Amino acid sequence: MATQTQIEVVMPQMGVSVSEGTIVKWLKSEGQQVAADEPLLEISTDKVDTEVPSPADGVLGSIVTLEGETVAVGTTIALITTVGEALAEPEPEPVSTAIGSGAPDPPEPVAAQLAEPADRTFVSPVVARIAAEHSVDLERVSGSGHGGRVTKKDVLAHIAAATTPEPETVTSKPLPAPVTSSAPSNGDRLEPMSQMRRSIAEHMRRSLDTAAHATTVFEVDMSNVVAIRARLKPEFLERHGVRLTYLAFVARATVEALRNWPWLNAEIRGDEIVTHSYINLCIAVAVDGGKGLVVPAIRNAEGLNLLGMARAIQDVGDRARSKRLKPEDVEGGTFTITNPGGHGSVVGTPIINQPQVAILDTEALVKRPVVISDDKGVDAISVRPIMNLCLSFDHRLIDGAYAVQFMAEVRRSLESWGEERY
Amino acid sequence: MAIARDTESFSSSLDAEQLGLDRADLLGMYRDMLITRGIEERGHILYKQGKIPGSFYTGRGNEAASVGVASAMHPEDAGTPLHRDMGVHVTRGVEPWRILAQYMGREDGPARGRDGNVHLALIEQNLVAMVSHLPAMMPVAVGLALAFRIRDERRVSVCWYGDGAAARGDAHEAMNFAGVRRLPVVFVCDNNQYAYSTPPQFEYACANLADRAAAYGFEGVRVDGTDILAVYNEAKRAIEKARAGGGPTLVECVTLRMEGHAVHDNAFYVPKELLEEWAKRDPIARFRLWLSEQAQADEAELSGLEEEVKTLLVEAQKLAESSPLPDPSELEQGVYAEPEPPRDGADA
Amino acid sequence: MVPMPEKTYLQAISDGLRQEMHRDERVFVLGEDVGVYGGAFKVTAGLLEEFGPWRVIDTPLSEIAIVGGATGSALMGLRPIAELQFSDFVSCAWDQLVTVAAKQHYRAGTSVPMVVRLPSGGGFSGGPFHSQSPESAFTHVPGLKVVCPATPHDAKGLLASAIEDPNPVLYFEHKHLYRRIKGEVPDERYTIPFGKARIERAGDDITLVTWGAMVYTAAGAADELQSEGVSVEIIDLRTLQPWDKQAVLESVVKTSKLLILHEDTRTSGFGAEIAAQVVEDAFEQLDAPIRRIAAPDTPIPFSPVLEKAYIPQVEDVAGALRELAGY
Repeated sequence: MATQTQIEVVMPQMGVSVSEGTIVKWLKSEGQQVAADEPLLEISTDKVDTEVPSPADGVLGSIVTLEGETVAVGTTIALITTVGEALAEPEPEPVSTAIGSGAPDPPEPVAAQLAEPADRTFVSPVVARIAAEHSVDLERVSGSGHGGRVTKKDVLAHIAAATTPEPETVTSKPLPAPVTSSAPSNGDRLEPMSQMRRSIAEHMRRSLDTAAHATTVFEVDMSNVVAIRARLKPEFLERHGVRLTYLAFVARATVEALRNWPWLNAEIRGDEIVTHSYINLCIAVAVDGGKGLVVPAIRNAEGLNLLGMARAIQDVGDRARSKRLKPEDVEGGTFTITNPGGHGSVVGTPIINQPQVAILDTEALVKRPVVISDDKGVDAISVRPIMNLCLSFDHRLIDGAYAVQFMAEVRRSLESWGEERY
Repeated sequence: MAIARDTESFSSSLDAEQLGLDRADLLGMYRDMLITRGIEERGHILYKQGKIPGSFYTGRGNEAASVGVASAMHPEDAGTPLHRDMGVHVTRGVEPWRILAQYMGREDGPARGRDGNVHLALIEQNLVAMVSHLPAMMPVAVGLALAFRIRDERRVSVCWYGDGAAARGDAHEAMNFAGVRRLPVVFVCDNNQYAYSTPPQFEYACANLADRAAAYGFEGVRVDGTDILAVYNEAKRAIEKARAGGGPTLVECVTLRMEGHAVHDNAFYVPKELLEEWAKRDPIARFRLWLSEQAQADEAELSGLEEEVKTLLVEAQKLAESSPLPDPSELEQGVYAEPEPPRDGADA
Repeated sequence: MVPMPEKTYLQAISDGLRQEMHRDERVFVLGEDVGVYGGAFKVTAGLLEEFGPWRVIDTPLSEIAIVGGATGSALMGLRPIAELQFSDFVSCAWDQLVTVAAKQHYRAGTSVPMVVRLPSGGGFSGGPFHSQSPESAFTHVPGLKVVCPATPHDAKGLLASAIEDPNPVLYFEHKHLYRRIKGEVPDERYTIPFGKARIERAGDDITLVTWGAMVYTAAGAADELQSEGVSVEIIDLRTLQPWDKQAVLESVVKTSKLLILHEDTRTSGFGAEIAAQVVEDAFEQLDAPIRRIAAPDTPIPFSPVLEKAYIPQVEDVAGALRELAGY
């Protein structure tokens, strides 16, 4: 027997510490048919911009949250009406709340229920009281507490903000324009920062405030790598559809060297050093024509060979540029490589990706005259393809000697890349 | 083997004048004994009529010991009488109707319904209200004496305890402290031979409780507790000794508990022969005889006194029954004392 | 302007005792080793020489005689200050305190103006019998008052109030603070009323209620949280019976988050009572569950590593504050 069910589309949690998201663009409009997993809308969060796939087949019934609005994780942003057999029940609500249309939980031990942290749906006594006193619809309040819970501060802030008029129309810009005291009259252009921009700004500032940044630069003779790449490149492309880049070689050499210099793959927590047993290698990807930056991680990079590394780099790069990254893609990185060298720079002072302690920067490959000594000690000038590698490291944990020895090993590894190495 | 001194009976010899008691005093003591017993007999009836809640304890057989010691105290002396010592309250002047009101949990009982039976005391009479943890009063009695010693006052503290209480550590600690500091306290042991159902051979291992005094560095005396004048004699001696700075004395008054531990106890464990033997030594009957023989008190006088006491107690009961029950809304009041106005004193 | 003298916590108590004994001849001290020895911790040093053997009385080893003696002499109008050598030994005098002293006024209308000084608290491998903080148990006995000063200033003022009070007062002086804490203490006499807390520091995000030596642990944790952008309001209760419920409620209205910290063990510690009353009276002010940090339900262990795990440390409190802040 056909039934009609309303399925909620909720703001997803893109990362553990992410508590809210902004609707960038609805890809479907009300009344339109949607298929399960079909992209329904684009959102922007602190961590990542992404598309949200539809949870079900059906008709997009009502759009609750409009473009440009920022809501807490878990907020219902739209409803899809399905026709047909009832779909799988939505997740059971925690017993502590009365909201929810799902089936009740099977009885759990009381202690376990009570030990569940509060989530979005839990309303504390003081929040209930304040909301009641001010006629606030808590569904519309973003929550900064555990699991997106609306806290006392949140509801008070909401009330304070509600006294300022909201913009009437929805613009295509991600955020409403900030209020300024005077309009610019000298030709200056004013634009609001995107969520990503703000997030990068905060991160960079915090990183410099946290780590004791120092940078060391190594010149690497990439002759061997150039030769081997020339040979393997067509094979990788035709047989595996993988573009083989210099970055893949550097990434391989880095991952191997980190095994011997593990503190560069560690984290500082208070007075403790947490050394990871795995390497989640982050690759910085420029997006939005250079106006944005995403840093997805390749998990367990220590287990990848050259082909695997090249394929992984290509994959994260493509997905980052086409906004198809998943939340776990931008979590848990332990070391980062950034490669601005494609445009000709030869030295960089990269900023560490917190909470990591080091970041490696690959500069441009430049043909330079270098001094070569033969085995009799006779010097001669030769032209070699030289790539500078710049390592910024957190001097709280990593001393110069440690850093340069790591880099020396990376260089050795690249300069002596053998034919048989894969 | 006994260590303490056994005293001689007074009944059979000695002129009361030697004790400094005139005829009025003697008849007064007799009257106090009559009132003591009369209150307890009346209370016994009221209890069985359901007019007294809780439990009901009497000191039947202990009238001479309690009245005798109390009669030897000065008004400024202080004491911690226990539940067999109704005679102390009576002798010190607590009105019978208020004692009955106390039993009945009425507002005019000295404890105003907050405590029952003999847990009463008027501090104006320098008596401290007892607790059910009987020997816990002993260190407090020593504390009273400590105050007198600190202030160099010629006042004495009288501490009552029984053969049962003697087994607890409080007794030891109190007597030890009193002995070490030679405090002006007299320990009166009401040895009525039964602590509930426990006879002496299971309560203490020494021959007499008075023997223990030597362990604390002071004198112990064993007295026939049914002989009011013997008790008075020893009590006076001990009290005046303390007053003069002679330190503590332990006066063991030996009696038999003539009723159960409480009214709900029929004391089946007390041998009948023992009860019969001690009934012959009833303190009131004994003193009545002595008065008639030694104090020229004739039948008319004595019966007249007895009638007067009866009437007094009938009136007392009526008055007690007219006393209101305490107000439950005041239940939480009085847990703490309110501060007195600040005391003027030179600042350091 | 003469700068106010600084005294240790111990000196403040000692000076306070001396001052009160001068001021009021009814005041006297009794306990073990208080006279010739000057007290196990030297709090009464010099008093015997100054006031004589009948105002500074060396008693036999008997908490019952000490407390009973205090009770009796208080009933006769003196103002005894009994010293028990360690708060751990108060259990020996339980009957005297709970049966006699606490209940006298209610039953007989008689005032028992006595103070029992109890060196309490751990942190120096004193083991199970020299380290306890048993104050919570006595808040449960109607008729007794319970005082727990944290600072030298409060120690002296609260002692004077305790002596003035016509009720039996248990004065828990934390022995680990004796010589480690110094503070400004006026030379002149002053009193601090019971039931009036001290706001150690104001804050907006979390209310932290505590007393005794834990005040310093709380301060350390609050300093850490301050640098993380969380402002903690610390309320030093000073007295537990009576306690300043009003101050706590006012603070909870402001912060909506409450953490209670005490060195006494957790189950049925006084923190439980505070939590229960705050929930009863300020349920609609709460934005998070009320948390308690207390010692675990064990006797106090001896080995330093165990004792450190037993007594709440700054990091324990800071961790709990962080959790509350993020709730």
